[in-house]
Amino acid sequence: MASKWIPTACGMCYVGCGVLVQVEDGLVMNIEGDPNNPQNRGNMCAKGKAGIMNLYNPNRVKVPLKRTNPKKGLHVDPGWQEISWEEALSSIVANLQAIQENPKKLYIHGWEITGDLHSWLHAFASAFGTPHYSSNASATCGKVIHPVEFFSGGGFHQQPDLHYSNYCILVGTQFAIAARGAFNHVLRDMADARARGMKLVVVDPIGGNAASKADEWVPIRPGTDTAFAMGMLHVLLNELGIYDAKFLQHKTNAPYLVGSDGHYVRDPKSGKPMIYDAADQKNKTYDDPTLSAPAITGGGEGGRPAFELMREHVAKYPPEKVEEITTIPAKTLRRIAREFGEAARVGSSITIDGVELPYRPVCVDWAKGPQGHKHGFHQSWPLKLLNIVMGAVNVPGGIMSTAAAGKRPHHWWPEGGLDGLLEKGGNVLDLPHAKTFPGRTPTKPVRMDLAELFPLAPHFQTLLPITSQDPERYGLSYQIEVLLHTPTNSVLGTFGDLKMVESFYRSIPFMAGFAVELNETNLFDDIVLPFPSYLERYDFNSGITSRSIPPCGQDDWFWQVRQPVVDAPNSIRPPQEILMEIADRVGILGDFYRLLNHTYRLKEPYALEPGNHYPVTEVIDRMARSWFGEEKGLPWFRENGVVRIPRDVEEAYIGPSLEARLPIYLEHLLDRGEELKKVVSQTGIKWDFSDYKPLSEWMPCPSYEAVQKGKYDLIAVHYKFPYVYGGFGNENPWINEICEQTNAYDIILNEDVAKAKGIQDGDEVWLESPVCKVRARAKLTQCIHPQVVGVGGHFGHWAPGMPIAQGKGVNFNSLLPTDLDHIDKISTALDHCVEVRLYK
Amino acid sequence: MAKADLKENAAQASEISVKVRFMGDLRAIVKKRDLEMTLPTGSTVGDLLTFLCDSFGDPFTSWVFSQPGKLHHYILIFLNGRNVKDVGGLGARLGDSEVEIIMLPMFEGG
Repeated sequence: MASKWIPTACGMCYVGCGVLVQVEDGLVMNIEGDPNNPQNRGNMCAKGKAGIMNLYNPNRVKVPLKRTNPKKGLHVDPGWQEISWEEALSSIVANLQAIQENPKKLYIHGWEITGDLHSWLHAFASAFGTPHYSSNASATCGKVIHPVEFFSGGGFHQQPDLHYSNYCILVGTQFAIAARGAFNHVLRDMADARARGMKLVVVDPIGGNAASKADEWVPIRPGTDTAFAMGMLHVLLNELGIYDAKFLQHKTNAPYLVGSDGHYVRDPKSGKPMIYDAADQKNKTYDDPTLSAPAITGGGEGGRPAFELMREHVAKYPPEKVEEITTIPAKTLRRIAREFGEAARVGSSITIDGVELPYRPVCVDWAKGPQGHKHGFHQSWPLKLLNIVMGAVNVPGGIMSTAAAGKRPHHWWPEGGLDGLLEKGGNVLDLPHAKTFPGRTPTKPVRMDLAELFPLAPHFQTLLPITSQDPERYGLSYQIEVLLHTPTNSVLGTFGDLKMVESFYRSIPFMAGFAVELNETNLFDDIVLPFPSYLERYDFNSGITSRSIPPCGQDDWFWQVRQPVVDAPNSIRPPQEILMEIADRVGILGDFYRLLNHTYRLKEPYALEPGNHYPVTEVIDRMARSWFGEEKGLPWFRENGVVRIPRDVEEAYIGPSLEARLPIYLEHLLDRGEELKKVVSQTGIKWDFSDYKPLSEWMPCPSYEAVQKGKYDLIAVHYKFPYVYGGFGNENPWINEICEQTNAYDIILNEDVAKAKGIQDGDEVWLESPVCKVRARAKLTQCIHPQVVGVGGHFGHWAPGMPIAQGKGVNFNSLLPTDLDHIDKISTALDHCVEVRLYK
Repeated sequence: MAKADLKENAAQASEISVKVRFMGDLRAIVKKRDLEMTLPTGSTVGDLLTFLCDSFGDPFTSWVFSQPGKLHHYILIFLNGRNVKDVGGLGARLGDSEVEIIMLPMFEGG
């Protein structure tokens, strides 16, 4: 029997590993990791191996559908009816044309990160003229890490340099063990690092997969990460006096003089921030070429160095006080801080390929956990400061900024800007990145997502269910009238309280979206379009790793192109071609092409030309040849799968060559906060401005206060499984079997707490938050903070189109109150720790 | 900059005719896809933006400029199909021109 192995890219989550697919007589027989692909080096996860079962899911949507039941709701049968493509597209086009004079009535939920649809919808939204494009899926994930990373590292995400690190602290993340970009690459680096003696400390309410591999698990009360970080900073800076003074002097704003009003002391002529030069005892602008000994302690004329203020500020967090907040014993925190500081080897260097670089083999890494809080920005930012004060940023052993710079196939590099600080991050695609510096000037809201009142945030979709309840309250005189969406399940994953989501989606007169299977979001659709499996389609973007979260260090940069390994059913069309047709029919095809040409840096002769219509294969061929040369068009990628481009030391470790300072003091938060107060005061909206401060403070989440007041006794948090990660797996029978075998559908509870409540392992219990009460099965464990209930995965489905997933597990997001009091006023993250009661 | 006008009429000899297309988030403020105007001969892209800031007020200004004379990183301007970064930036001279001003949403999340 003829058998062939075809290189392509996995599409079971956003990572996009390189895979080889065995095909016999037009049927997929097996999927293996591609050993030649730097992304995963031949490794596969359980979810990737199970992709074959998604392809052959008998409940896949394979034809366009329309609803016949005008009533919409979480549990309402839409009455699906099969229709032709012409009827489906005509309906979508007619609804778009009806709002074309006021295009902001269109909301596009654009997260489909496994392929091209994400960036193509980004271009479509802009060509149509709506600001309401959601670039992310989660109500919390990515809302802080990306804007922080771009202004304090230069790239999209952060990643410990496991090649050289000797001491790694993970806070609220299961990096390289159960989650994160380049997962199947970095997990081997993590194993190697642990084998050679790197100490791994996991600070997390839950002792999950990451903690199981750690040298030490430190349980922490949810929503207290700020206090942990500030306590660590206090011990390092004030008790031990360990920090990288040279790095702080020359590579950060630590020496910038700050006046009594909290603002920089500025040169009256140029407006530039001033630094006190201890060499000749004069104040100078930060970029004065004679500056030789910037003072980070002591004082200067008219102000004090930012670092001095920071040291004083963190002194408010001695370990004993931190213990009260976090429950981490003071002696544990002191020991970890000392170990961290000593392991940093401040002042040491290492030579790699003949290049001498600072050597800082320590880092603190954080991701989803600290971001998801009412004060998510300030929960997270001081954790990054721990790396900055050690000089452990973008140097061997430290925290690395992912995809920040490269020399081929294009040149992209972070750049300095206002006040000499890092302002523009590096990005292989020519698209604006998330950004918290310097921010935008707030104005009266025009947008339904109130973006104008979040001048430092990159994403805003968490506001939509809130404003849609009463637009006039926010001065808005319109509503979202059309929603287009990708096949991801925004009802369960993108917002909080399901009643709010239901109300929001019911308020939208017309919804249309793609579907793999008919999930809970599709229940609100008027039109459903079938979405091809990743094994049936082409994508120039095949996952997020190449462009945004590649493995750090000197591993090759790479680009892979997804190709179909089997034919899609005739009734399924390439999503890129569908978007081109809709754009053409609503009269924006030329503008759409203009934006795609910009996004993909397509110039003559490869640029898409107005008036022409292209099959998706030609578009991808143009992109490939434009980037990699005439000989590496689509046929080359179909044969080879991936192109590898070696990186030199300068690209791998950009810290020393970065011509910009990193922040430790956020003066611009004062400015944006003051501007915001003026705007909000004219709207009558109640607003919390407490986050607009240049140095972080720990501020409690509502759940912390609710437990303190005794209204509730536990806090529910979410955690991840490596085999239920990033979507597209819950209806997969193999993934389901793993979940059943590992009790993944259960909620977890501390064994001692459970006993006190009379709850036994396996008992059915009620889990009740302020907005939702659900039935769940309890799994008892010692590996969870005693005040915490853990809800894992992305479960809790009820859609009839997902019979395997129905009725299993709990949907965590549905527990979350959704209002302005639970939104981080810097990042728009929705608070992801929620007070709960648990009882039989 | 000399006074500019929004006009439907043909440009005078000392004036240039500029067609502006707005894409992305700016449409929410400008409320039009296309705008035609006349500007004094010799006007630059910077002059055009100054005129638009005067016309559409603080929201337009704050969305386009991060500080005086400096565009936000998400603002794209094409002059006769070419990115103004490649043809002189805000100082690029306008002839009888077609200008596209685009405010892109920030890309990628989590």
